[in-house]
Amino acid sequence: MQKHYSFRLKPLAAATSAALLVGFGTGAVRAADNLPDMGSSGGQDWRVDTFYENDTRHRKDTGLSKFRNTIQVEADKDFGGNGTFSSIKLRTKFRGTYDGVYKLNDDEYGKNAGGAVTIENISGPLLPPLPTNAGTPLNLANVPHGGGINNPIATALGLPPDNNFGFNLVTNPNSGLKVLGSDLHKTKGGVAFGVPQAPCDYDSRGCIKDYMDANSHELASPEFNDRLDFIREAFVVAKMPMADGRSWNFQLGKQQVVWGRTDLFRVLDVINPVDYSRNNIYDELQDIRIPMWIFTAEYRMGATETFDDTNIQLVWNFDKFRPNNLGQGGTPNQILGAGDFFRGMKNLWDNGGTVANFALASPTFGVATDFGPNQIGIRKAHMPEWSLANTQVGIKWEGVYQGTGFSLNALTFRSQLPSLRNLYSKGVPNVNPFTSSGPFLLAPGQTAQIYPYNIAFDIYFPRVNLIGGSMDMQLDSIKSSLRLETALTKGEEFANTAKPGLYSESKVWRYVIGLDRPTFIPFLNETRAFLLSGQIFGQHLLDHEEYRGPWGKYGMPDHEHNHIATFLMKGWYQNDRVSPQIIMAHDFEAGSSVAAPSLEWLFSDNLKITVGANYKFGDGAQKWNDARDGNPFPPFSGGQNGRPGTVQGMAGLTGYEPLGRFRAGPIGMANKEDEVFVTVRYKF
Amino acid sequence: MKKTVFKLSVIAAAVFSTGLATAATPDEIIDSSFYPYKKGVPTHPVVKPGAVINKSNVDSAKDVLDPAMYQVIKNGDYEITVGATTSFDLHKNYIDATRAGIGKVKLGEKNGQIIGYVAGRAFPEEPDLKDPRAGEKLAWNYKYGINWGDSAMISPFYWKYRKMDTGKIETVNKFGFHFLNYKHRVVIPPVPDITPNPSNLFRAIYVKVYEPLDIKDTQLLIQRYDDDLKQDDANLYLGFQRRVRRLATGQITDSFLGSDLMIEDFEGYNGRVSDMKWSYKGATTILMAYYNHNDQKQLSTEFKEKDGYQYVEFGGKGGCYPLVTWQLRKVYVLEAVPTDPNHPISKRVYYMDTQAATLSRTLIYDRKGELWKSFTIGKSHPDHHLPVNKGTGISIDDAFSMVDLQSKHCTTGQFRGEVSKEASPPSLFTVQNMRGAN
Repeated sequence: MQKHYSFRLKPLAAATSAALLVGFGTGAVRAADNLPDMGSSGGQDWRVDTFYENDTRHRKDTGLSKFRNTIQVEADKDFGGNGTFSSIKLRTKFRGTYDGVYKLNDDEYGKNAGGAVTIENISGPLLPPLPTNAGTPLNLANVPHGGGINNPIATALGLPPDNNFGFNLVTNPNSGLKVLGSDLHKTKGGVAFGVPQAPCDYDSRGCIKDYMDANSHELASPEFNDRLDFIREAFVVAKMPMADGRSWNFQLGKQQVVWGRTDLFRVLDVINPVDYSRNNIYDELQDIRIPMWIFTAEYRMGATETFDDTNIQLVWNFDKFRPNNLGQGGTPNQILGAGDFFRGMKNLWDNGGTVANFALASPTFGVATDFGPNQIGIRKAHMPEWSLANTQVGIKWEGVYQGTGFSLNALTFRSQLPSLRNLYSKGVPNVNPFTSSGPFLLAPGQTAQIYPYNIAFDIYFPRVNLIGGSMDMQLDSIKSSLRLETALTKGEEFANTAKPGLYSESKVWRYVIGLDRPTFIPFLNETRAFLLSGQIFGQHLLDHEEYRGPWGKYGMPDHEHNHIATFLMKGWYQNDRVSPQIIMAHDFEAGSSVAAPSLEWLFSDNLKITVGANYKFGDGAQKWNDARDGNPFPPFSGGQNGRPGTVQGMAGLTGYEPLGRFRAGPIGMANKEDEVFVTVRYKF
Repeated sequence: MKKTVFKLSVIAAAVFSTGLATAATPDEIIDSSFYPYKKGVPTHPVVKPGAVINKSNVDSAKDVLDPAMYQVIKNGDYEITVGATTSFDLHKNYIDATRAGIGKVKLGEKNGQIIGYVAGRAFPEEPDLKDPRAGEKLAWNYKYGINWGDSAMISPFYWKYRKMDTGKIETVNKFGFHFLNYKHRVVIPPVPDITPNPSNLFRAIYVKVYEPLDIKDTQLLIQRYDDDLKQDDANLYLGFQRRVRRLATGQITDSFLGSDLMIEDFEGYNGRVSDMKWSYKGATTILMAYYNHNDQKQLSTEFKEKDGYQYVEFGGKGGCYPLVTWQLRKVYVLEAVPTDPNHPISKRVYYMDTQAATLSRTLIYDRKGELWKSFTIGKSHPDHHLPVNKGTGISIDDAFSMVDLQSKHCTTGQFRGEVSKEASPPSLFTVQNMRGAN
């Protein structure tokens, strides 16, 4: 599974050892001899800024969704220069967070989150009242977790007696669960299953080792982990002037390296992964980029005969791989609802579970089914270990030509978003729910039972290669500045139900066109202009696949061509002490929108208060082929729609879950997450 | 107002009359332009060194005050202590370059075009009211004025946002400002130009914000082309975004970080000649905030510097006015009307110091034509400021006060300015430097 919108929404609206760099000293000259640097003569005192911030949010249906308290200390030191470097600086940021929501609203997000659930069983009332593991009859329209087709029922239906339907309700009880997607939509004949909600120290079901396995302490205070994230940044900046007036600039340490020229969207700004669990797409990127141990070497050529300014930057992200944090199941901020989906799937693999409307599924029929362990779901996440080959390298040529800023960028990196490859594609066997034996299920030459189109997955983070560029310029005739950014990637993987592996690779072209215009609106403010900023983001999957089956479309749920428009209007009053703004975004293909008004009040240099809301509207949840119709276990799982039982592949059966999330996009999937918030920041 | 503006004091008129000769020699032109007090300084029966001009006696000094300052004093918002008029001699190289260009520089067809200029003061001749483009020539004298020289830095540079009625300080910003001339340089090597300079830049200003936390690490780079008809480039680095944003033209004329100044107000006027329609309104003598920094009796003890440097103190109503001495100086009255009908102001009236060609007093009128802001830049003699400035021949910007007379709000500035090559190398004035200036 790959998430495809690299998008966030709150814009407008900062090394280890310099000794490592001394080796570059050959040919360098003293700063004072040629191009001295600010403060290079003898260093400066430490500069330390400390602030506390409380961010409290209330969500329409769930109540308190955030009570986040942050302490951040920024300590900088300029050491001055030495014989090689004209300046050496240390930049550090330390951050500690405690989000009290897991205690204050533990019914929703803490140890008491979730409960007993019922799973849709649209054809249940047509069936006899056969007893299920849950102790309830099968002929209910909604059955409890554990109330679907089990071994005896399957046997009674004519399947081999050694079928593996049913699971252990002791190890996977009907408690602490929520029905996948139930905050956003009803099941409506599609797929659903129970998702454990409590932090992993209270409920380990569905926790994915090394990927989504945070306990309550790690959720509340995410910086205090084995990656030492409380050190948000610690890097050395060293500048080495050359005799010809050019210079090298080195940065080494835990840091953020930012590419690109656009707001909100991460087209080129993909060097650091992003933590969406902090506040989905609504925090400043500076606060949610996950700093990595990175070395950059920048050769600054300055002005040349052709360019007003030009430089080449080499970026080496030598840190151990980290993916984007998409938010864990059961937590308030999950982009695309990925956390719940992954956790529910992992639980299905480990413990089995009841899946809505699965058996004999068609657009008008489906029976809740109790899958056993190791049949469907997510088996594990393959987190890339540290190795030289797994590090990430980029190069950027940037400059200014005739007043136009430009960059050309290239990066090879590990996708920060997960790709779900089914086990068939990797040759990994899984349990056939229909029988414990059956050599007839094996294709010639197969040595293990692997099942094309089966919804059993491992998570991978494939390598992606990116080339791109950016430009900015003034458009004096319309008193605006224009920003362009584009990238072409190769190696990204997407869900694709047309493939036996249920994924495929596609080259992706993304771009952003942005226009900023300060504009006086006299009836709102006679003396201060408003900033109007509009952007259009385009994403095109160049190897997109989409087919129409007898029941509907299947293939890649991501839109082949999609656009998101954003608009910012920001004003300032009382010498910028009061600043209202509204940000709006519209996802054209998803038909979803968000409006985020806020008002910032700078009470003093030390105290800032922001109140605001974000309100989503539009189509919300979307449907897509859900892979119930792939017939991975012929002949048992086939025969739908009159097809021969041996025919595999999709017929286009659709539902909201699990792939509709890619149609709905990050705005549509958060359709029911309207919030109001107050943020108070105090600088000590 | 006109009565005041056009009235030359008798003495001053006598002093300057030689400079008005129609067939002035180069020496006479130079003397008139750069040494206006060579033969004597302006005098006034009331406005004498040591005198204090306040609301009780301001009427007797009305003829040597611009109308806004007269009203401020009349209101009791500020008192001016008069200092002796002193000569702010410019650097010899700048004057020599001016001499070399006499008679060789002329205006082009369009406003914003100049022909034959190499260095120094473009039009050192005394302006003529009958010359319809005299104002434009003065604008060029300002653009190519020595101003901060070839290379300079103001750091730290404290800006305070103040409420006039209560004196409450709302914000204290700590900046670093850096200036670099790419062309027409006269003192600091390389002279006359920094090369390569493929886009033919004339000048650049780089600004970095150090405090408060809210806007810390914000940086601004303004690049002005030698071709005045070419739009300036401005880029802003926002610390919280860690990205450089190109500024649209309109942001130059919007409030800078919430202050009472717009970027276009920097140094008096920070725009292109061609952005304004310039009109010369005559010469006069008024009180201007020119002084010796080190001789000021009351300097601030608020911000500590290791070398003991003290900043100018502010006082008066709301703390909006610099507590420095003012002296009688000959000025040109210059009116600038924006060519853009959507510009947020209707005009600026400048009182341009004839000797330094700097815009030290500015009255800004809103779109309705009403007086909106009163801008003062205090200038210190370089020989009586930081040791590094001694002998530079540059009148040092030392304090500013931008008072919004309508909203009763002001922004004040306290400078530590240094004429320095080391603090402002060309590498500082690049967009890439902003990205990597952590």
